Amino acid sequence: MTRLLPEGASLRFEGLEQPLQILRALGGGTQGEVYAVRCGAEELALKWYLPACLERDPQLPRRLRQSIALGAPSEAFLWPLALLEPTAESRPLIRHPKAGFGYLMALRPAGFVGAHRHAGGDLEISLQNVLRAGFHLADGFHQLHLKGLCYKDISLGNLFLEPGSGRVLICDNDNVDIDGQGGGSVLGTPGFMAPEVLLGKAKPCASSDQFSLAVLLFRLLTRHDPFRGQRELAIRCLDEPARRRLYGEEALFIFDPGDPGNRPDPEEHAAALVTWPIYPRALQELFEQCFGPGLRQPERRPLTGQWTQQLSRCLDRRQHCPHCSQETFPDPPRPARCWQCGSPLPPPLQLQLNQGRVSATAGNTLHRHHGDPLAPIRLDQPLARFVHHPEDPRLLGLHNLSGEPWPGQLTNGQSFTLAPGKTCNLAALQQLHSSAGPITVLRP
Amino acid sequence: MPFPNVRLSNRPLHFIYLCDCSGSMAAQGKMQALNQAIRQSLPGMAEVAGNNPEARVLVRAVRFADRAEWHLQEPTPVQQLQWRDLEAGGITAMGEALELLAGVLQSPPMEERALPPVLVLISDGQPTDDFEAGLATLMRQPWAQKAVRLAIALGHDADLEVLQQFIGPEPPGGGRSPRRPLQASNATSLAQYIQWASTAVVGAASMPASQVQGAAAGNIPLPDLPPTVLDPTDDVGPLVW
Ligand SMILES: Nc1ncnc2c1ncn2[C@@H]1O[C@H](COP(=O)(O)OP(=O)(O)OP(=O)(O)O)[C@@H](O)[C@H]1O
Ligand SMILES: [Zn+2]
Repeated sequence: MTRLLPEGASLRFEGLEQPLQILRALGGGTQGEVYAVRCGAEELALKWYLPACLERDPQLPRRLRQSIALGAPSEAFLWPLALLEPTAESRPLIRHPKAGFGYLMALRPAGFVGAHRHAGGDLEISLQNVLRAGFHLADGFHQLHLKGLCYKDISLGNLFLEPGSGRVLICDNDNVDIDGQGGGSVLGTPGFMAPEVLLGKAKPCASSDQFSLAVLLFRLLTRHDPFRGQRELAIRCLDEPARRRLYGEEALFIFDPGDPGNRPDPEEHAAALVTWPIYPRALQELFEQCFGPGLRQPERRPLTGQWTQQLSRCLDRRQHCPHCSQETFPDPPRPARCWQCGSPLPPPLQLQLNQGRVSATAGNTLHRHHGDPLAPIRLDQPLARFVHHPEDPRLLGLHNLSGEPWPGQLTNGQSFTLAPGKTCNLAALQQLHSSAGPITVLRP
Repeated sequence: MPFPNVRLSNRPLHFIYLCDCSGSMAAQGKMQALNQAIRQSLPGMAEVAGNNPEARVLVRAVRFADRAEWHLQEPTPVQQLQWRDLEAGGITAMGEALELLAGVLQSPPMEERALPPVLVLISDGQPTDDFEAGLATLMRQPWAQKAVRLAIALGHDADLEVLQQFIGPEPPGGGRSPRRPLQASNATSLAQYIQWASTAVVGAASMPASQVQGAAAGNIPLPDLPPTVLDPTDDVGPLVW
């Protein structure tokens, strides 16, 4: 790899009081190189651009300055923190005649892995955490769009996941711009680009982000591609012109409810056939909407808020199959069967709050939005979690994660209080009064 | 419970080196430099392959001198590849090498469905056999037409015209371009080009990268060439050969 910055050296940059010590190269892409650097006591990541980038994309520093001024939309982004240009005395240390420039961002913590590992089937992760990752991804874009920004280049390559928690980090935020602002040269990544962008009829914007987000969610949730079905089998050499047809000119969703012309092949596309039935209809319908009418009509694409709503509802229904113990997400009105082994699923015990119901399954969580109609949908600050008794796993309880005591009644009419940090046995519980309103036990 | 053990099906990506092993390659350590460059590039290539769930990267190599023959005949997953040194000696049967290549690019043995192959021709001299006939045989194969064809010229005696014919029509304008022979005038630039072909190009051929406006159209948009990093030995002409 070509190293533009000298490892081990300390470099000074305009406007930065402390020098940055270049610790080690983390990798290089087509645009530049990324280094771990020390800034005082802190370790950060530094992206350094190849000078050719600026020639091709003269708006890059403007966009970075704008993003730095606006601040990160959420914690899911490895957002630019400061734009860096070398001081005159540091320029000669940079191994290129045109020294170039870069930006600082947080260092990705260990434990986050590239989303391509998941897509490639090379990652142990639970269905719950895949759905959480989908939620955090959609929520990140929700917050970004609410700020009036668009991302332009959503793809597997820009997403990292923490398999044990479902948290995500979105990197490569240097194409972000105010939505509708013409500049910028990036078009996106084939396979994720909205058809109108792929075919050169439109520039990337918030509604093309909505399309790319849906593709990425589909790839996370199914480990398959929304357009690779029978039509892919007819393609011998999968090159750029073939991708333009598959994802643009002739794009057809593999599960299009009205047109079965591109269904998955049972052998080549087994992943899609195994994973699609896992998800509730409401979630499937968002994909059908985005890859059906939304394919040609950007205004018909599901909005980021619809994704967060349906993904969180799906998580609320999580239930283990009593036969094979797989995670399932049954649709309440339909007679429920396990997607993996086909066994009937018993109706679950549920907790009813003002705004929704949550199935009583260890690991499921209650949130403020379940009770409070004004609370935004969030997964990162649970009010309570279902847990097994530490000694007797047959007992399921509700663990109060809030800071407040919750008064309640038991099935025998007795009153009690669930203190913060304590767990009550669901078998004896009738009702609780939480900070997000009443919680009532619904027995099947 | 873990996510079901399924994945997006992948396609093979054949990456084939065509290495000039004529006697002149023995001079000034060129043969050793090429062996080193290829060996050093393998970890990076394996990493790119690992990052691309859509591709199964398989490597082969042809050597040509008095005759052309397979140096690495079995399409080998890059993660398992151990590079065996090439040895120099003989003349330059480049045309025969292209015939040999044509044989494996027809289906079968080529899979029915694949990613565009990447073919890298490395030479320091002039073909001594019927290059035109070999090229014609090669280019009759649809997979050869679809392939990303790159050429690296070692030193100043390489036949740039022949290498350009292998790549295809010369792009308009001047300057460095992946659609022209890459001129490696020293061991460092040779290693850089090999690294670039085995990582950036493999990446582009297997999983599309982000695209920018006005990117050169084509079968596969080729990534930028590696930058010429400031090196005191740069641009002073050949040092080693
Ligand atoms: N904040 C970060 N912390 C740790 N590693 C990072 C960080 N940002 C990028 N990297 C790593 O550095 C390498 C290069 O990153 P970069 O995003 O520049 O390249 P890329 O995505 O391969 O290229 P491209 O610009 O073509 O998309 C990658 O391996 C990436 O995982
Ligand atoms: Zn089951």
